Amino acid sequence: MPSFQTIDYSKARGVASICLNRPQVRNAYNTVMRDELFQVMEAVKEDSDVRAVVISGRGPDFCAGADLTEFGAAPSIVIAREARWERDLWSLFLNIGKPLVAAIHGNCIGSGLEMAMLCDLRIAAEDAIFAMPEAKLGLIPAAGGTQTLPRNVGLSRSLHLLLTCQAVDAEEALAQGLVTTVVPRNRLIEEANRLAQHLTTLDQRAVAALKEALRHGPDLPLDQALEMEARLVLKLVSGKGRDQTL
Amino acid sequence: MAKKPVILTQKGPVALIQLNQPERGNRVTLDMAWELRQICQRLNVEGKAQVVILTGAGESFCCGGEQLLDDGDSSSPPLDQRLESYRAASSIGGLKIASIAAINGNALDQGLELALACDLRIAAEGASLGFSNLSKGIIPWDGGTQRLPRTVGRSRALELFLTGRLVQAEEACRIGLVNKVVPLEELQDAAQEMAAAISSGAPIAVQYIKEAVHKGADMTLEQGLNLEADLSIILQSTNDRHEGVQAFLNKRKPKFSGE
Repeated sequence: MPSFQTIDYSKARGVASICLNRPQVRNAYNTVMRDELFQVMEAVKEDSDVRAVVISGRGPDFCAGADLTEFGAAPSIVIAREARWERDLWSLFLNIGKPLVAAIHGNCIGSGLEMAMLCDLRIAAEDAIFAMPEAKLGLIPAAGGTQTLPRNVGLSRSLHLLLTCQAVDAEEALAQGLVTTVVPRNRLIEEANRLAQHLTTLDQRAVAALKEALRHGPDLPLDQALEMEARLVLKLVSGKGRDQTL
Repeated sequence: MAKKPVILTQKGPVALIQLNQPERGNRVTLDMAWELRQICQRLNVEGKAQVVILTGAGESFCCGGEQLLDDGDSSSPPLDQRLESYRAASSIGGLKIASIAAINGNALDQGLELALACDLRIAAEGASLGFSNLSKGIIPWDGGTQRLPRTVGRSRALELFLTGRLVQAEEACRIGLVNKVVPLEELQDAAQEMAAAISSGAPIAVQYIKEAVHKGADMTLEQGLNLEADLSIILQSTNDRHEGVQAFLNKRKPKFSGE
């Protein structure tokens, strides 16, 4: 893997670690970061050595949002639309059949929070701050936030975050279901790695099947979702030994 | 002249809708439902207000609605027409601008359905919320069977419908039925504060966020993501987007024009 400008990438014992690395601008997300994340995530998707992924941020923050010095300039809407779909990083996040863990500290704002919501598990440090300030900037979320937040924490809480733009701290984020665990700041990476290490011990095909069931099931009528679940289970079991118990 | 069943007061970007039949617990009457429809239509067309607060005069938020009975009287309008004219929650739900229910007291049956049609809910301590329709041999008929599960999840919704149990404000907050609980005397200020937070955002952005969240909830995740992307790109043609970003980069307060 080549070295990158905006992220750090390393791999150890089945865990891929992606560290957002623009601490001088609070790890603001820009097009270079998009392209580098895209490259890394595609590699992670294909790399059979990788069985879990941890995404974290270097410096005092996880990610304070999109780099507005860059995304602020509005090209024509036609060009903007082309740019949005030329590298669909967010769909790539959703289509990786491996568990993604976000390890969040400091500011986790706008696209930073959206990136975290595209992960499967979110661990926060006690100092983490979450907010969706887009409306105050004349923007709306564009990394899936209007869709992933309601699906994770419900309509009411999502609308509160999105419409009032008010920040919530780690404790509140835990109460609302924005994150699954809160740990002291100095134990964040250790805990995230420990969780990821546990995830590497699971049957990878089963993890991928579970992710698929949860990704598509909620969009289907129940009877179709149950059929999909059955298909996934049969596919999983038929590839295993005869004595596999259900 | 009879007292108005609903009072609308507009102050800057905030419209306050007050249910105004406190002597009957603000139960929704035909007049009240009609008035709510007119007001919501007007707010959507005029485009002056950016946030709506819905609240009740007196002790209750709204204790329910009319009893729907088939009186067998052939001179009265058919039942389906009467149902339509009693319903009011879709008027609130159809608002393009953001809405907040300031639940000053009990929100029961149709009263809770009105609150559920708002985007956000603040409840006063001591308020009770719930559905007792089933014990009267009827089901909620102003959106409750659909909006409650979408707000608190299926299991909690079924429990509340089937048992008729009322939840207190604090529990309502814990289960995501309301966003915030405050002492009654602080309720109106808390609602105004929330409205001010929303109206400091760019008007079109606020409406697009609301649209993306609500419409997206009925779509597959892919479809929802496409809708969000399209709306965010359309927004690039607005002056407010330019203003918002420039203000941020120059560390000043934005001045949004709604264009």
